[in-house]
Order: sequence, then C-alpha cells, then structure tokens
Amino acid sequence: MNQRENFARRFARSKSGMLGLIGVAIIVLAGLAAPLLARSPAGYSRDILLGPSAAHLLGTDNLGLDIGLEILWGARTSLYVSAVAVLISVGIGVPLGLVSGYSRSWVGETLDAAVDIFLTLPILPLMIIMAAIMGTSITNVALVIGLFSWPQLAKVCKNATLKISGMQYIEAAVCLGYSRGRILLHHVLRNITGPVLVNITLIMANSVLAESSLSFLGLGDPTAWSWGTILKRAWGNNAVINNPNPWWWWLAPSVCIIVFVVCFNMLGTAINDLLSPKTQA
Amino acid sequence: MAVIEFIDYSMGFQAQDGSVHNLIDRLSMKVEEGRALGIVGESGCGKSMASLSVMRLLPHGAVVQGGQILFEGRDLLQLSEAKIGGIRGNKITMIFQEPMTALNPVLRVGFQIGEALRLHHPDMRRDEVERAVIEALDQVGIPQPRARIHQYPHEFSGGMRQRVMIAMAMINRPALLIADEPTTALDVTIQAQILDIMKQFKQSGGMVVVTHNLGVVAELCEEVVVMYAGCAVERGTVHAIFRHPRHPYTVGLMAAIPTLSSPKTPLKTIAGAVPAIMDFGVGCRFAQRCEHCQSICRTQRPPETWLDEAHVVQCWQACGAAKGDA
Repeated sequence: MNQRENFARRFARSKSGMLGLIGVAIIVLAGLAAPLLARSPAGYSRDILLGPSAAHLLGTDNLGLDIGLEILWGARTSLYVSAVAVLISVGIGVPLGLVSGYSRSWVGETLDAAVDIFLTLPILPLMIIMAAIMGTSITNVALVIGLFSWPQLAKVCKNATLKISGMQYIEAAVCLGYSRGRILLHHVLRNITGPVLVNITLIMANSVLAESSLSFLGLGDPTAWSWGTILKRAWGNNAVINNPNPWWWWLAPSVCIIVFVVCFNMLGTAINDLLSPKTQA
Repeated sequence: MAVIEFIDYSMGFQAQDGSVHNLIDRLSMKVEEGRALGIVGESGCGKSMASLSVMRLLPHGAVVQGGQILFEGRDLLQLSEAKIGGIRGNKITMIFQEPMTALNPVLRVGFQIGEALRLHHPDMRRDEVERAVIEALDQVGIPQPRARIHQYPHEFSGGMRQRVMIAMAMINRPALLIADEPTTALDVTIQAQILDIMKQFKQSGGMVVVTHNLGVVAELCEEVVVMYAGCAVERGTVHAIFRHPRHPYTVGLMAAIPTLSSPKTPLKTIAGAVPAIMDFGVGCRFAQRCEHCQSICRTQRPPETWLDEAHVVQCWQACGAAKGDA
C-alpha cells in the first residue's frame, strides 16, 4: 500500500505527468461523453465554410458540417483505434516478450528473430496493403495498426524480462519449486509493468498518428468521423493552401492530434521517470 | 539414515565442439539428519555446482556424467521434472548469498514467504497461511511480524532480509536446507545472529553450508568437505580436519587464517590460482600449486584414503605412496 500511495503522491507532484494525465482525461471523457454532449454530425447544412462563431464553435467545412462536432466524434474514433491497437499489441507482444526473454532454448531465439524481422518491416506501405485488402472499416484500421505495433512492445518486454530473469529472486523462485508460468506471471510480469506501461502510452499515441495518416491517405473509414479524415478533406479541397485561408478547417484537427500525442507521451515519460529506480527516493 | 548422499557424483561442462570437460570428479559425501555439512574451497571449485546439482538446476551446458545423489533413498538425478518440482522448495530448500537481491522487490514480504507454503500445501486456508508466515518471521527474530508481513523488501535491512530468506526456506520444514554463502554479504555482528538462527533449525533436518569462510564452518557444521577444482580433496569431521589437516590445500587454507596467537609475519598464501577447467590434467588437480608435488602427483589421480573413520583424504603424500616414488 505504502509504495502505491507513494507513487500517486509523487505522480501528483510531477508537472508534466499531471498535465499529460489531465489532457488524456479530457480527451477520454470527451470521447465517452460525445453522444451526451451533441448529436453526431449528420447531414449537410447551408452554413458552408463559416469561421468560428457561436452557432459553430469551430466553424464549418465546405459541406456545411460542424468541425467542432466532427472533432468531438473523431475523438471516439481515435480512442477506439488506439484501445484496440493496444489490446492487440499487449495480447501478442507481452506474452511473446515474456517467453522470448525467459526461455533460453530455441523457442526464445526463434521468437526473437521473428520480432526482429517484424521490426525491420516498413510499416506504412504494409499498412496500406493490409488496409486495401481488408477494406476500409475503422475496426480494420485498428486491427492493422495493432498488428504492426506489437513488435516494439515485445522487444521492450523481452529486454525487461531478460534483466529481471537474471535476478537472484527469480533463481530463488525456481528453487522454491514454482512453475515457469507462475514465475512469469507473478514474479517477472509484475516487475516489468513500468517499461510495458510506458510503451503502451507510446503505442496509444502512435496508433492515433497512424490512424490519422491512413485516413489522410484515404485508407480510413469515410463513414467514421476521424481527425485524419477532416484533414484529408481539408487538404483535398485546397483549404490548406487557399487564400483566403479557412484556417479553422485544418488547424483544429491538427492541434487535436498533436495534443493527443503529446499528452500520452508526457504521461508515458512521467510514469517512466517515476518508476525508474534512479529517481526513486 | 543420511538425508542426502552423493555417491561418485561427476558432472562437467559441454564445450562448443561437443566435448565434455569434467568439473566435479567422483564426489562422495553425505549429510546426516540434524547435522550440517560445510563445503569449503576457493571460487570456481564446484561448490555451487554441487548444491545446484541437488536442486537439479544446473546451468545451460552442464551435464551429469555419472554417480547418484540419493535423497530419502531415491536418486534425485533420475526423478521426473514433476517429482523434482514437488521436492524443490518443499523438502529441499536453498538460502542465497545476496539478501538484497534474493527477494522480489514488488511483492510484499508476507506474500513471498507464504507463496511456497500455498504452492506445496494448496489445501491450507488463507488465515492458516498467514499465521504460519507470522510464526516463521517470529522464529527468525523479526520484531512485529504482524506489521512486517505487509511491507516490501526495500523496507527491510540486509540482515532482516536474510532472516526473511531463512524464514522462507524453513517454512515448509524441509528435510534438507542448502545455504549458499549465507553470511558473506552481511556484516560480522549480523553474521553471528544469522548463524545462531540457522543452528536452531539444524534440529529439524540436515543442512549443507557452502562457504569459503572456515569460521562459519567451525561455528555451524559437524562435518566438512574441502573441495579443490571439483575434487573433494579432504573430508571428515570438523574436529579432525581443523585439528589435523592432511591435504596440502587444506593446510594452506588453515594457514591463511589469522589468529590472535599467530606471529606477526605475513600470512601464508597458496601461490597461483585454481586452474581453468580445460587445464585440470590427469594427475592430482592441486599438483601445480602444491609445495610437496612429486612426479606421481602429475600423472595419477590420488585415491581416496581413509585415515580413520572420520577423515578421508585424496593425496599421494598423505597416503604415503609418494615417498617411495621420490
């Protein structure tokens, strides 16, 4: 209990960590509460390309859609994609990392080689191919991103496991007659939660970036509201280079993506700093 | 009946090319119930390998070359993995050298001590386990065990952690306790306390103490095996070996300990170092460093010679054969 209370207290004192946490909390709450706050941005209106006003807080696009609403509903997409991607990465990466880090036999080496090969693959073109084959639904996008995010988590997990499995308390656990599974779940996994947690926040941030990139390239789901899709339409309609410039169209989604990524990264860095023994009192 | 008995046990390491280099050569020794056996020798002499062999936890590349290790009448080397799993941590337990790293930092101390109990006695209720854990901590002299079980290892000092390790190793009332350098990492006053605690536990089973500290052996053990480069060069009762060491290596070890009455001259040292496993040679493995080395020592392995019923030595000189040769 002591250690956990201590962690919470030190976390509350870390400025970047709290900032990241608040940002993440706002995004998550906004995404969850979107259906309560506002209707989904359906149908077109006559308010075409209006700047921010009381009626349309963040203006409208060339079809008369409210950008503020799109962004609010887009947060749901981003969260959904990153949650699915994290689930897949954790589901594949953590067990593989644990086994390849702990097993000294050919199993570990084979897994390790597989992870290395996956890490060398250029992700974007493969994602394009996968998205093209699997079709452009938002779940498919999330699956594809998840399938390409696990290798780095597996690597982090493996390295942490390697370090922990050399510790004497693991040897002691073996001497006490514990099975491999018990040692991995009870003794190793609980010791590597720090780096794994940090990597999960990075995967959250990266998957939103990847989703936006795919949407921007037109491989996202055109029927789902997504920050990347707004940017793609803004770009497609020359909103970014036109003069006079409808800046509200591209600025708000870009800022949202940046804030999402920065907040998750700050959260991850703060957790990392707090968990690393160097900074522990 | 002996708790554990090594009979001509040999093991070695497999090199990259597949050839096996022998380390432990036909080791024979036994531990009686209620008694402690000390294994002493320099680093790299195979002391730890001998104890890991009992646990069947030899590192990668190590191979058993022959012999038996009998525990309760069964050969541990022949048991299935499942059977040995039921013995490890239950009937045979181990205490490690480094109390600072031998406890899992993220698990509560009480949980860690109880884990071995829960694993080997799944039918025990939670409150029974907790009571047993508190009792175990109390026995090793940890104050306020009821509060201590909820703490993490970093809240314990080194000596207290070593007590926790002992509590953990003793909670299943093992028939055999292996202590690998149990006091090396502790300061001298704490060492004495830990040795006292370990002495109490000797009544319930046998004990093997792996150490390079002859003081620990004198304090704790009844019998002692002096190992050099994988050979048990001399073994017998503590009394016999400390009073009348016969092997030149044992003599050298004894001479290297300062005593209150020793003259103010530099301590005796044994020149050289333990040979690498590839350089053991065919004769006596101590021959290169031995000041009494004869030609037979380099060509033939000395046999085990019983000097009396409590004292065995592997040395040509001690068994008298070298004299004729010289």
